[in-house]
Amino acid sequence: MNYSNNNTASSGNGNAIHVVVIGGGPGGYAAAFYAADLGMQVTLVDLEKNPGGVCLYRGCIPSKALLHVAKLVNEAKEAKEWGVDFGEPQIDIDKLRNFKNKVVNKLTGGLGILSKQRKINFVQGRAKFISSTTIEVAKADGTTEQIAFDKAIVATGSVIATIPSLQIDSQRLLNSTTALDLPAIPKSLLVVGGGYIGLELGSVYAALGSKVSVVEFLDRILPGADRDLVSHLEKRISKSFDKIMLQSKVVEIKEVTEGLLVKIENKDKQIEEHVFDYVLMSIGRKPKTDGLGLENTRVQVNERGWIIADKSLKTNDENIYAIGDIVGEPMLAHKASHEGRVAVDSIAGKKVAFEPLAIPAVVFTDPEIAWAGITETQAAAQGIRFETAKFPWAASGRATTLDRSDGLTKLIIDPDTERILGVGLCGPGAGEMIAEGVLAIEMGATVKDLALTIHPHPTLSETVMEAAELFYGHSSHIYKPVKH
Amino acid sequence: MKNFIIPELGENITTATVVKVLVAVGDSVQPDQPVLELETDKATIEVPSDFSGKVSEIKINDGDTVTIGQVILTFEEAGTQPAESPALAAKPQAAVVETQPQPQPTPDVQAPVAVGITGFVLPELGENIRSATVIKVLVEVGNTVQKDQPVIEVETDKATIEVPSDLAGTVTEVLVKEGDTITTGSIVFKISGSEATTVAAPVTSAAPAEVVQLSAPADEKPVTFVPEKSAPADAPKVIPIENQPAMLQNAAPAAPSVRRLAREIGVDVNQVKGTGPGGRILLDDVKAYSKALHQQRNEVQHIRTEQHQEPLPDFTKFGETERQTMSNIRFKTADHLSYAWHTIPHVTQFDKADITALEEFRKSYAKEAEKQGVKLTVTAVLVKIIAAALKKFPQFNASVDMQSKEVIYKKYFNIGIAVDTEFGLIVPVIKNADQMNVIEISREMNALAEKARNKKASIADMQGGCFTITNLGGIGGTFFTPIINAPEVAILGVSRGNIEPVYIDGKFEPRLLLPLSLSYDHRIIDGADGIRFLRWIIGAIENPMKFIVEN
Repeated sequence: MNYSNNNTASSGNGNAIHVVVIGGGPGGYAAAFYAADLGMQVTLVDLEKNPGGVCLYRGCIPSKALLHVAKLVNEAKEAKEWGVDFGEPQIDIDKLRNFKNKVVNKLTGGLGILSKQRKINFVQGRAKFISSTTIEVAKADGTTEQIAFDKAIVATGSVIATIPSLQIDSQRLLNSTTALDLPAIPKSLLVVGGGYIGLELGSVYAALGSKVSVVEFLDRILPGADRDLVSHLEKRISKSFDKIMLQSKVVEIKEVTEGLLVKIENKDKQIEEHVFDYVLMSIGRKPKTDGLGLENTRVQVNERGWIIADKSLKTNDENIYAIGDIVGEPMLAHKASHEGRVAVDSIAGKKVAFEPLAIPAVVFTDPEIAWAGITETQAAAQGIRFETAKFPWAASGRATTLDRSDGLTKLIIDPDTERILGVGLCGPGAGEMIAEGVLAIEMGATVKDLALTIHPHPTLSETVMEAAELFYGHSSHIYKPVKH
Repeated sequence: MKNFIIPELGENITTATVVKVLVAVGDSVQPDQPVLELETDKATIEVPSDFSGKVSEIKINDGDTVTIGQVILTFEEAGTQPAESPALAAKPQAAVVETQPQPQPTPDVQAPVAVGITGFVLPELGENIRSATVIKVLVEVGNTVQKDQPVIEVETDKATIEVPSDLAGTVTEVLVKEGDTITTGSIVFKISGSEATTVAAPVTSAAPAEVVQLSAPADEKPVTFVPEKSAPADAPKVIPIENQPAMLQNAAPAAPSVRRLAREIGVDVNQVKGTGPGGRILLDDVKAYSKALHQQRNEVQHIRTEQHQEPLPDFTKFGETERQTMSNIRFKTADHLSYAWHTIPHVTQFDKADITALEEFRKSYAKEAEKQGVKLTVTAVLVKIIAAALKKFPQFNASVDMQSKEVIYKKYFNIGIAVDTEFGLIVPVIKNADQMNVIEISREMNALAEKARNKKASIADMQGGCFTITNLGGIGGTFFTPIINAPEVAILGVSRGNIEPVYIDGKFEPRLLLPLSLSYDHRIIDGADGIRFLRWIIGAIENPMKFIVEN
């Protein structure tokens, strides 16, 4: 209908559906790539030079590069016990930052190439809806462009949540983005928020030599995960971290000459004052829809700021889909990617729905914690009948060779059908292992299926099979008979 | 002679590829026997025959692409006893057995005790449980027991369990008492009666009987869970599964690929009974369910289309003819309109609207509209006015549910517009027309019409209408009697505007008059309301200022 711009986009396919994807994170680029693969004409709009989003630029990827280094530092330290002494690590923070940046550039650059290969019209800029059929992009080069579309996918993600009263203007006050830039190795660091972002970044800085403390408002760290999974982590960080303050909250932050003076209300409602070199605010993320021009469409947003979408990820506006963080929890890259592909399938006219039985969650601390499906806590809270089978890694040969007995493999089982309802893991490599649990849940596998599946020896993955055997009372490496 | 045509295979499926013809010329075919394996873009489907007979001609080959409705086989009609040459029948029959997965219950627990008198035995209660303590016997001698009725409460080291009976009849002897320790497989009581001769339904170890946790609150009624397996001869029954854990009520145990296929072929996977371990739903379960569903649907359709079919004369006696299979849209339109015509008592009200002023404005505004990328049409204006009229007259924005004796009033205002396309009549729907201005409505109409013409319109684009406008003005005519697009309750037919003399203030003036034909459902709309509604619309067309002021 009006000034379509698409001379830059795929040529010769004038009849194809034109899909505009706003946001090039793991949801947006997965959607854009898939749409292009299905023969649609695709425009992908993002603020950065290349696709990647928070995940690649300021989240999952850079943090994992640094956690890899942290793990190396910790293992080198432990190696002393095994007869190998590397001495004290010398950390060149500029070089380390450079390594992290190289990882980010390599991956985002790769996505840029993959985008070009698919003849996707990548537009760097900020998009805004001006109607249900057109967006206007304020482009990085200062010009604006109107782009008409048949269907749009909103994948703008989330932003860092802040507490305005604590948001002082100081270089020493970090958030997850600035903390990944490694401004310095603080002598002391306070992490506000005991969720996965704070614990992962806290672990990095602890390994680099900072004295790390954590303040958490609730009575436990990682409130979403089962307690028995978290307990090994708690034990380990109680040694590597300085202090974990639970049921406590920061009431004031003030810059002083020695650093940041933080007033903390502890669990006895007493105010403690501490000075920290740096403070990292990691209290969560929230959706951001203002500036998107949703008021010019029929898209509706709920009271918490999330876009309302149906099971096929379509919003109230026939032409507009929304995926990823912007449609709600869990705010995870892999959920967004899957939703992106569902949305594209729906646009392609397929009858599809976002209907996973399990979305895995992984905390990349040391030990790692991972779970999928229902947790024991949820099952109990919802009055669901379940049984568990727990295999401690102290009984795993592979864990012992790693000198890591601080792990647990847990199955949550429906007693009637013996179907696997949930899987929980704690230990090194748990994040890789959880995929088996997700598959088991998705396939409707029973405990018997896991028990009868041959797992390679000696690996940590055997613990899944042994936990299943334990349900029947006959795991090889644990003696725990079922009463007859 | 009978023709076998490709039946409907699912929503949006119009063609399919022949994977394999499962019968040969001369074969005798029974109803429900698969005769053809087809591949659509959604799934591979076995198409069963709907009648019996001997195949006299096969009109297609493996690999051919066929369309729905195409004749693929002709049959010689079978006599009372379809002659079945064993040699010929053997092959296709074998294929049937292979491809029709039937849950085969394995009677692995107990054998019937005696004909006439049967014993209820304690079934397997779970892995590794061999014995249990009797807490309470819930039946007495002389009691009549129904199938699935809890008959005994036992305690194992894991939980307290209420065991339902798998037999029906009268209890003749109880062999256990409270406090007894009994082993699985031992007889709890003896039963006689009508169904006593039935072999006790096998209880497989994978599906233990109802288990109630000790911690469950006393008032919580146990959910009855009885592993029920249909007899081999039964067609797969369309019954909801009951053995879902509470949290997974909407998450049937089926692999993602199976769930995706089910959704694509229009099967609610939660309705499918799984035959796999732990009730897991297999691909074959979904296919069998889909097949059963198709059969049901076909039966209904047969009744509907065949009920009123009078025998046709042999037209060739009178001259040359040509038979063409109806297109899918044509058949659906025919079916839908027959239904509407049969069920809805139609009244059609005619009137004319003076659109002289509207036309003048439309012409003067044409340039402006063009700048905004649209062509302003009378239909677009009518959509706006009718959306407002529906708010004023809610009984026109309703549907009738005779079964529940209810009228459903809609709080949304979606207007359908009948569009004539090269492949038939379709009705795209302008959603929430009340919230749009006329320019936006025009834009939406253009977009929908464009989509319809390019065959890109989705089912969603055609659904959710409250009221339909059909405009034949482009062709001509004055009045006509449009048929209501059920389950809507009214439709407005628009014809071509004509200049006519109208007597105004003592003299005739040439005015442009637009003939309007409003059909409404007399079940819920009275004649007076019909003309009020139409006059209101005409008033809004003739006095736009009044319309604006009042809306």
